[in-house]
Amino acid sequence: MEVLATFTLNFVYSSATLALIVLGLALVFGLLGVMNMAHGEFVMLGAYSAYVVQSFSANFLWAVPISIIVCALVGWLMEWAIIRHLYRRPFDTLLATWGVAILIRKGIEAIFTRDYKSINQIMPETVEILGITYPSYRLLLIAIIISLFVVLFTWYQKSKTGLRIRAMVRNPELASAIGIDTARLSSATFIIGVSSAGLAGVLLSPLVRVEPYIGLDYLLSSFFILIVGGLGSLEGLLIGSAVIGGSDALISTIFDKTAGYMSVLLISILFLWLRPDGIFSRR
Amino acid sequence: MKRRDFIKSSLTAVAATVTVQTIVGRAWGGSALKVGVMIPLSGPAGLFGPASKNVSQMAADDINAAGGILGRQVELVFADAGLPPAEAAQTALRLWRGDGCEAFIGMHDSAVRGALINVFKGQVPYIYCPNYEGGECARGVYYVGETPAQSVVPSIKWLTEENKLKKFYLIGNDYNWPRDTNAIAKNTIAELGGEVVGEEYMPFTVDNFDSSLAKIKETGADLVIITLVGGASVSFNRAFASFGLSDRVLRFGTLIDENTLAGIGAENSKNIYSAAGYFANVQTDDAKAFAQQYVAKFGSDAPVLNALSQSCYDGLIALDVIAEKAGEMSVASMENAAEGMEYDGPRGHATMKNKHLAMDIYLANAVGAEFKIVKSFRNMEPGNFCKA
Repeated sequence: MEVLATFTLNFVYSSATLALIVLGLALVFGLLGVMNMAHGEFVMLGAYSAYVVQSFSANFLWAVPISIIVCALVGWLMEWAIIRHLYRRPFDTLLATWGVAILIRKGIEAIFTRDYKSINQIMPETVEILGITYPSYRLLLIAIIISLFVVLFTWYQKSKTGLRIRAMVRNPELASAIGIDTARLSSATFIIGVSSAGLAGVLLSPLVRVEPYIGLDYLLSSFFILIVGGLGSLEGLLIGSAVIGGSDALISTIFDKTAGYMSVLLISILFLWLRPDGIFSRR
Repeated sequence: MKRRDFIKSSLTAVAATVTVQTIVGRAWGGSALKVGVMIPLSGPAGLFGPASKNVSQMAADDINAAGGILGRQVELVFADAGLPPAEAAQTALRLWRGDGCEAFIGMHDSAVRGALINVFKGQVPYIYCPNYEGGECARGVYYVGETPAQSVVPSIKWLTEENKLKKFYLIGNDYNWPRDTNAIAKNTIAELGGEVVGEEYMPFTVDNFDSSLAKIKETGADLVIITLVGGASVSFNRAFASFGLSDRVLRFGTLIDENTLAGIGAENSKNIYSAAGYFANVQTDDAKAFAQQYVAKFGSDAPVLNALSQSCYDGLIALDVIAEKAGEMSVASMENAAEGMEYDGPRGHATMKNKHLAMDIYLANAVGAEFKIVKSFRNMEPGNFCKA
């Protein structure tokens, strides 16, 4: 019984955090067709924002707006200087954003060195839930992520901006013909995408290791989720996260971590082979 | 700078170098002795690069101030050992055959060591510095790092006796160092009448340890022996503490160094133990003098010292002592000279036996983000791997 409760909570936790990390990448790729190889670096920037806030002995919550400002600024600059000129050239954006990723990594390394940074938890204690002891902060994180997705989903479906974005994605020429400023909208979408990665970095920072190279790990797991879930839908993103997080957690619990990781790779290969557009295909 | 100025200044520099080399060459009765220093400058262990470089330079300066090796001034040639083994081996070959390095110092993983031994084939002296799994006796290779017989075995015994431990859980990354170290740990656990309740090896890509933590809890392990490396160790230990396991379950590892501990964080470090021949916090006169010299030379912001970077100092000192005893820089003479050579370094007194060093080992307990020495094991034998 305890095993089942632990498994369930771990499964929900890893799916939720994966979904939060991949959200921005899916948004940017699904809506703008830009594969942002620097996505993980924005998660890293978020984590370092939390570190900076901590080194000034300020409240952890300050890291949330600071990370969003930092990522939005870097994202805006990146979109304005590079991405904007490469829309509809997926391979070129891939290379360009990979270059930016290296630049961000090295920049952070130059400022903060390669040393590991430790960010304190705001809720280090554990609670009794479903008969087991579980970290309180993880439960808080699950709640935050679920609320965030509900808000985002509603906003995308109901708001005018959501409608404009959907129009732009379906038919950019027509959208711009009826007066939608697609350039501004694309820029905004990109900035929101990378800022969400920064937010993910802040929220996860007390639980994970923090060093300049962590972005690569997040990029890799994000790819697996996009392969399974497909591009351009929130449902696909959530299901992709659940499939990847779930199979890893399940197989690792029954066998060991090597088998768990192998199952993730196998699932990704099978999807690429048999359903290259993922579970929820828009195209 | 204008082009003409550049050429002029370059030529001056070249002329100056030539003159200096001639003078130095005359003064010291020979050309500089080039020593290849293979340390990780990139990759996952690149974190240890800057301190290793500093420490190596400090050792070379100390040796040169005392007259060099065999009367020749030591010139270090640094190269990246953080690359895949085949590439690191190519680099070493270039340093050896191309740049004329006559000896090598290595602070890198076991896979790179294997590749370098294959390149050198016992024709050039090679000092391997960091702690490793033990078991080797290659020609021309001298090991100054700790072996499991020195660090793991006495530490597990001491921790078990002090804390009445019964159940042990082993977790590491999947390569030879963790597996070989754990094979030795398992023998010790069996001797002590303990039980191994779990043994897991993780791919390097893993950063989620939830399923392992659930197993550790379920099996009721008293001590977790950690042979995870670098970032994996940080992630594992942070998650370990967040599940509230650190109050009851002890953790021990021989690669949990000062950097890793900083990443684990003060609030997650309760009941972590580490064993090595050196910690930045060792309070012997030799160790304190070493740490003070390091700060005086590189400033108080210099990259933090640990057993890995410090081992580069012992590597160069050992090379000096062996070469002086042999009277020449050749493997044939050094093979005989190495056995029984002794020196006093930052780690205290060391004696070479069967190409490894008998030395003092410290067991440290993490208190916040610092290590405090709780037990010293005097003059530990490295084990004999040179039996036919």
